[in-house]
Amino acid sequence: ISHVLLCNVTQRVSFWFVVTDPSKNHTLPAVEVQTAIRMNKNRINGAFFLNDQTLEFLKIPSTLAPPMDPSVPIWIIIFGVIFCIVIVAITLLILSGIRQRRRKNKEPSEVDDAEDKCENMNTIENGIPCDPLDMKGGHMNDAFMTEDERLTPL
Amino acid sequence: MEKARPLWANPLQFVFACISYAVGLGNVWRFPYLCQMYGGGSFLVPYIIMLIVEGMPLLYLELAVGQRMRQGSIGAWRTISPYLSGVGVASVVVSFFLSMYYNVINAWAFWYLFHSFQDPLPWSVCPLNGNHTGYDEECEKASSTQYFWYRKTLNISPSLQENGGVQWEPALCLLLAWLVVYLCILRGTESTGKMEQLANPKAWINAATQIFFSLGLGFGSLIAFASYNEPSSNCQKHAIIVSLINSFTSIFASIVTFSIYGFKATFNYENCLKKVSLLLTNTFDLEDGFLTASNLEQVKGYLASAYPSKYSEVFPHIKNCSLESELDTAVQGTGLAFIVYTEAIKNMEVSQLWSVLYFFMLLMLGIGSMLGNTAAILTPLTDSKIISSHLPKEAISGLVCLVNCAIGMVFTMEAGNYWFDIFNDYAATLSLLLIVLVETIAVCYVYGLRRFESDLKAMTGRAVSWYWKVMWAGVSPLLIVSLFVFYLSDYILTGTLKYQAWDASQGQLVTKDYPAYALAVIGLLVASSTMCIPLVALGTFVLHHLKRGDVASVA
Repeated sequence: ISHVLLCNVTQRVSFWFVVTDPSKNHTLPAVEVQTAIRMNKNRINGAFFLNDQTLEFLKIPSTLAPPMDPSVPIWIIIFGVIFCIVIVAITLLILSGIRQRRRKNKEPSEVDDAEDKCENMNTIENGIPCDPLDMKGGHMNDAFMTEDERLTPL
Repeated sequence: MEKARPLWANPLQFVFACISYAVGLGNVWRFPYLCQMYGGGSFLVPYIIMLIVEGMPLLYLELAVGQRMRQGSIGAWRTISPYLSGVGVASVVVSFFLSMYYNVINAWAFWYLFHSFQDPLPWSVCPLNGNHTGYDEECEKASSTQYFWYRKTLNISPSLQENGGVQWEPALCLLLAWLVVYLCILRGTESTGKMEQLANPKAWINAATQIFFSLGLGFGSLIAFASYNEPSSNCQKHAIIVSLINSFTSIFASIVTFSIYGFKATFNYENCLKKVSLLLTNTFDLEDGFLTASNLEQVKGYLASAYPSKYSEVFPHIKNCSLESELDTAVQGTGLAFIVYTEAIKNMEVSQLWSVLYFFMLLMLGIGSMLGNTAAILTPLTDSKIISSHLPKEAISGLVCLVNCAIGMVFTMEAGNYWFDIFNDYAATLSLLLIVLVETIAVCYVYGLRRFESDLKAMTGRAVSWYWKVMWAGVSPLLIVSLFVFYLSDYILTGTLKYQAWDASQGQLVTKDYPAYALAVIGLLVASSTMCIPLVALGTFVLHHLKRGDVASVA
């Protein structure tokens, strides 16, 4: 093993290094080395089984991976779903309410007609609607009916 | 024939509606804060005493009034005495103010809920800065959860004066929140029921205040709910049940909150130690793993003596990690719910699940209380023959929601959170104390305590125990008067009111003075509800005099 020069030994695992060009026999400038490292950081990390948090090159700030940015933010999708459900529910409730009210409006109008008829015949007493009194034919007295039936037929 | 008043399907529905109204966000974010500030478990002593002496009697009173008069707050007080219908009007005004700003909290809860379906959670990581070499500056100085709250959710401006424009994202969430509330109240209120420091006088005052506002007295919501009751229901039992459940929920929420505090404090403390170790290891090229939590102080001392110049350079960046200071950060209000809790949740396993559950819970609490508030506004409106003859119930509810939503857009502006704080602190506090005081005096001395007692006995079939009578006539009014006097004197003595503004450059809150127009708004808020009582009384008096004058002149 050659070309490994140890200097400035510290307690933690860290080292300085220079890159030499054997053909031209001089050290490459720092800027070139820095750009090369920046481009190949992943391969260097992989070689050491390390990552950006555990292997740091001083003076080369690592570019952080931007978080995943979907084209449509997820929250808008969920918002849209819930918004539509709520609107549909409100419309349904309003429509059923209108239908109920229309049904209620029809009933009192029928009762009103019957009451008008009763008023013409002057047979309203104590606010009781005249419907049960408005028989088809004349007035039947049930008491006489049963009397006739009790007599044994001949 | 008179249309029958709609009734609750069964008494359980009514109890659930009351509980859902009373148990609100205050149980989660106000009560644990008070416990922490006033000596932890010993705060329970003044709290329970105030519950028994002030909370339960006043709750029972409001429920009984609603059940007896069978009308919303305005009608109920008009029945007691025409001069006092101003109390009902004041209740409606305060409820209106509350519903304006309270639903913004639900909007924020929706916002966080929708953002919980991402991996990683958006408030657990800081966004990157311009050239992707590090994190955003504001996020670094504060923390990722604070950044998400102040920048992404509120987009808060540095002060109250800089208004900014309406932010469309929170505005959309507010719209959705109002639609959900409208959906629930559409079919009418009946469908909403599906759930020390002992020597320190401040502890007692805060216990009294907490009980008072936690039960939601004075808004007219309880009167509205109770007016839909059968006259024979046992409102005494209901009052006790609702107040006990409300208090147990507060205590339970504190237990949870304190464990969350502990988790967050421990996590942050260990993180802080790791950061300091990393900084020292990098600066002095120490062996990896040499610095641990136990030897940190020793090593710091050694380094300070061995390399004084280098150490003094790095010293300003070394934070003093202390578990006590982490635990001491007591937070209340939106800060607790949206910053502290989210910070704890982001560190848990399966954080998306906990986040969804937590914000769903906040939404349930918030919407439950909103339904009670809107009931307080809608019941008097639908009771009044003038309005209900022109418009169907759905249209009135829709109009109220629309007006509140439109005004609520103010709170989605950049300075909106500052206006929210104004409304939160001043819209309801003093006015409610006055309203409940007048309510108690009206029932006991204007209507007559004996008359009310015999009404209740005829209505429910049960006699009213001497305990309630003593509380209604004597103890509770005295308590309220003393609370009222204390708060008034506190406001007067403090001088100019201040607020906390978020400073983006420093990444923390700073105290600023309210400008003049903000103080005017505060005064207007308090005055508009309290002045209703004397003004309406005066108006009724004048009308009566005019009528009597006409009759006299004709005769």
